Amino acid sequence: MVQLVGSLRKELADSISTCKILVVGAGGIGCELLKNLVLTGFKNIEVIDLDTIDVSNLNRQFLFQKKHVGKSKAQVAKESALQFCPSANITAYHDSIMNPDYNVEFFRKFMLVMNALDNRAARNHVNRMCLAADIPLIESGTAGYLGQVTVIKKGMTECYECQPKPAQKTFPGCTIRNTPSEPIHCIVWAKYLFNQLFGEEDADQEVSPDTADPEAAWNPEETAARATASDKDGDIKRVSTKEWARSTGYDPVKLFNKLFKDDIMYLLTMDKLWKKRKAPTPLDWHQLENSAHDTSSGLKDQQVLDVWGYCQLFQHSVETLRSQLQEKGEGAELVWDKDDPPAMDFVTAAANLRMHIFSMSMKSRFDVKSMAGNIIPAIATTNAVIAGLIVLEGLKILSGELESCRTIFLNKCPNLRKKLLVPCVLDPPSANCYVCASKPEVTVKLNVHKTMVLTLQDKIVKERFGMVAPDVQIEDGKGTILISSEEGETEANNSKFLSDFGIRNGSRLQADDFLQDYTLLINVLHVEDLERDVEFEVVGEAPDKAPPPQTNQEEVNSITNGNKDSAQPSTSSKGYEAAKQPQTVTFPPP
Amino acid sequence: MASTKASKEQKYDRQLRLWGDHGQETLENAHVCLINATATGTEILKNLVLPGIGAFTIVDGHTVTGEDAGNNFFLSKDSIGKNRAQAATEHLQELNSDVSGNFVEEGPDKLLDNDSEFFHRFTIVIGVQLPESTCLRLGSVLWSASVPFLVCKTYGLIGYMRLVVQEHTVIESHPDNALEDLRLDQPYAEFQNHIKSYDLDSMEKKDHSHTPWIIIVAKYLEKWLSEHNGQPPKNYKEKEAFRQLIREGIRKNENGVPEDEENFEEAIKNVNTALNPTKIPSAVEDLFNSEQCKNITAQSPCFWVMLRAVKEFVHNEGNGSLPVRGTIPDMIADSQKFINLQNVYREKAMQDAAAVSKHVESLLQSVGKPAESIPEKDIKLFCKNASFLRVVRCRSLAEEYSVDTVNKDEITSCMDSPDSEMVFYLMLRAVDRFYQQHSRYPGVYNYQVEEDISKLKACVNSLLQEYSLNVNIKDDYIHEFCRYGAAEPHTVSAFLGGSAAQEAIKIISHQFVPFNNTFIYNAMSQTSATLRLLELNGNLPFADLFSSPNLPM
Repeated sequence: MVQLVGSLRKELADSISTCKILVVGAGGIGCELLKNLVLTGFKNIEVIDLDTIDVSNLNRQFLFQKKHVGKSKAQVAKESALQFCPSANITAYHDSIMNPDYNVEFFRKFMLVMNALDNRAARNHVNRMCLAADIPLIESGTAGYLGQVTVIKKGMTECYECQPKPAQKTFPGCTIRNTPSEPIHCIVWAKYLFNQLFGEEDADQEVSPDTADPEAAWNPEETAARATASDKDGDIKRVSTKEWARSTGYDPVKLFNKLFKDDIMYLLTMDKLWKKRKAPTPLDWHQLENSAHDTSSGLKDQQVLDVWGYCQLFQHSVETLRSQLQEKGEGAELVWDKDDPPAMDFVTAAANLRMHIFSMSMKSRFDVKSMAGNIIPAIATTNAVIAGLIVLEGLKILSGELESCRTIFLNKCPNLRKKLLVPCVLDPPSANCYVCASKPEVTVKLNVHKTMVLTLQDKIVKERFGMVAPDVQIEDGKGTILISSEEGETEANNSKFLSDFGIRNGSRLQADDFLQDYTLLINVLHVEDLERDVEFEVVGEAPDKAPPPQTNQEEVNSITNGNKDSAQPSTSSKGYEAAKQPQTVTFPPP
Repeated sequence: MASTKASKEQKYDRQLRLWGDHGQETLENAHVCLINATATGTEILKNLVLPGIGAFTIVDGHTVTGEDAGNNFFLSKDSIGKNRAQAATEHLQELNSDVSGNFVEEGPDKLLDNDSEFFHRFTIVIGVQLPESTCLRLGSVLWSASVPFLVCKTYGLIGYMRLVVQEHTVIESHPDNALEDLRLDQPYAEFQNHIKSYDLDSMEKKDHSHTPWIIIVAKYLEKWLSEHNGQPPKNYKEKEAFRQLIREGIRKNENGVPEDEENFEEAIKNVNTALNPTKIPSAVEDLFNSEQCKNITAQSPCFWVMLRAVKEFVHNEGNGSLPVRGTIPDMIADSQKFINLQNVYREKAMQDAAAVSKHVESLLQSVGKPAESIPEKDIKLFCKNASFLRVVRCRSLAEEYSVDTVNKDEITSCMDSPDSEMVFYLMLRAVDRFYQQHSRYPGVYNYQVEEDISKLKACVNSLLQEYSLNVNIKDDYIHEFCRYGAAEPHTVSAFLGGSAAQEAIKIISHQFVPFNNTFIYNAMSQTSATLRLLELNGNLPFADLFSSPNLPM
């Protein structure tokens, strides 16, 4: 019996040392995972990560040290892991997994793919690549003390996109530009402002008053006479914010008075907006300066400054960013990063000044950072637990025990049933998943006269349906090509409306992503009126249709716990001398 | 090379969001002792060095073997033959230059022989892969010295943790969904005056729609009480009527159509929780009645002195209530009105904390200690968390292991269920017994597996007999444990390393409630259980802070 069991173990040990594994992401989970893999005896590992190392990673990403800050995560992770385990064969890519070089063929090289990612776009993409290549994928994530691990296998389990995920929150342009009502609106505005002033300008990130706000129903010419503030800013739309800022030499006081005084006075002239809302109060630099304040002492992250404190922070950060920009030379752009102190200071100051103007209570830099950076708390312990679980699921897959794989949730504290871990049976694929169904199809509600081809491409096909390089043709019998993944081929179509191509209610569009080996049929449902600031809606996925509450997992768990009799993998560690390992794969019997 | 405060703030940013500056400070003042730098041991320590404990000391008399180098990330081929404590310290030290690493090249038994107080200096002692005899000996030393002891073991595909501490106090338990402390049912004088300063009827429209909902509820509650003999709305029907009363207060436009007043909607939505009567949670009442609270001596820890002071406050200035927490939720209001209201709560909280402070002072004086031995900011934090205070009391290992005090009923009833993790607890006890008899674990040599099975079976039977446990352990478990050969597979160590470090952080920071008292992880089924077995009656209530995982994957 021992021998029989021993030989099974040998099979697994062999496949561990010969199979090739892809680890996507070398961050918190990725570092732990690399270590676990090499110590479990995996020999052929490829790891890819686009990021470079930041100081705030060092509290948990233990393969990195201070001297590595700024270097490629994948590369340093590889080197550090090799230092400890020189016999492993690790390949590192400092690159995005969404790069077309990593095609289906690339994915087919691997026995198993393990995700250690932090964003949905890349998760969607890897999900599709693994479906296309028919390679099992282990997906994972952590947030503070919470974590989860699941297994995805084409045709057998739900794919990553089978369950609709709650929409990532976006805010209507008019709310950001004209009528912020929550601190987050001001923070988003301040981040846009950063890009408008110092970074890459984006037409979707306007910060000046929006005169086309349907709610204002406001005619600029009519009220121009009344608007005393607008004489300086009459050409608000024609000169870009950046050019204007540059023409002032990034003078902090001039910037301040435009953004927090003139623009606000301009907003006040849109009087319909303020009938029900409390109107904003413009700020004036010189007035604030004269109304003598104590110069605030050293900045502490968690304290809330007074208005003049934020004025000064605004001034200092603009000056620092200005010189950063100058150092980089003509035409340079800065990229906003929550961990870059002047960039964060700037957003803290601008957001707080705007909060004050719109009668909100101001927030500390620490809190603003949380919101601006979408910061998810992260610690070593949770990542260690999750990475341990990932490898154990991987071993089950390698032993051909996919059916014993589980989705596992890690709780903050033992739950009411005293369980820290909640394992759930994997669900079968959802029949109408728009990704893994055999003929994926969706219906999109939009106004064909108002939706431009560019919107279809960027907001619907790329952002909403996760394609990277889509081709879209109309199923009109002629196969008219609306969008081509070849650069420049269909650029002329971008600013035309869908109706210009004969698209109307009931039209069908075929969207293809060659890289993802994924085709999606889009049915167009034409409607005249959508809500304020809504450009399209996916039918059957109204915002109220959130994913099922996850508390039900408890129930699933109690049903499936009884089934732990299936053959289990043992682990095998191939160090310099094989460490002692459990020698069984069957336990306990039914 | 120690980091400056600013660079620490940056490095530790993501965790400061969980336990705050003061939590970080406790970590940085902690000295952690690890006994045995096995794979599990170094994984635990790695997860404590990264977030920045002040210092660690590894106690280990073993020499690094090839096997160690094979499953331990912090021991390399070059370290084979060196002392394990030294080799691991060198590698772990590299992870964080702010942590001071020390090592002792001796086993714990020898240390105890030479200096029985050696372990008293540590904030927490983590013992990994210890034989039963060492565990019990060290356990009793630490128990009397009130040093928390976390016992950890990875045994094949089973992970085990046991927390041994007489008493662990938690000020910030971070409960999920805690109710606000608004005192609408018993407004204090300053709050009453503040409510009076509002006249909803004569206000301008803009002010009316920017009045904080707390004021709105307070105003309509006054009205309700005057119409209902001073009785607040209690059942569903009355609360519904109360909501209607508020709804009628919404301003109407010239056509008699109600205006859009979000603050009123908020008030209506919050009626249920806002009307919750202010009372002292039973867990806190129990603490008030405990001996430690009643008998304050010069040796009483600060927690108990402050608790007693809060109790005095409740019976005097507080008129039966805990100190006001002083925070209010975000709500629709203009800044000025919000800040004014916030200040009313904040000032009252400061007043209450000051009163508690006075009690602390006189308590300290009565036992001959200087008044400033408990800092003002600690008292404020204590008052702010008064509703969430927790005390965890574990049972000693000696009691758990004694034939006279073992909790037989609990074990037997757990074993009735075929899926209980209790069986692994009993198996771990049995392999410990095997080790005592044979000075090795079962199955460590392949050629002995078969004969070890019967030897282990004998250990299981003698264990069950000794404790008069009438339970059945299947042979498969015995086979399985023999085949484990006391191995420490790296992934199981990694899991336990994360879990144990997390508990250690809870203990060190006195934030969040640690598990009580035995944790078993089964890596085959990916299940876990917290066994509260083997525990004295009359233990204090333990709050399970369940939160459903709701993750953006």
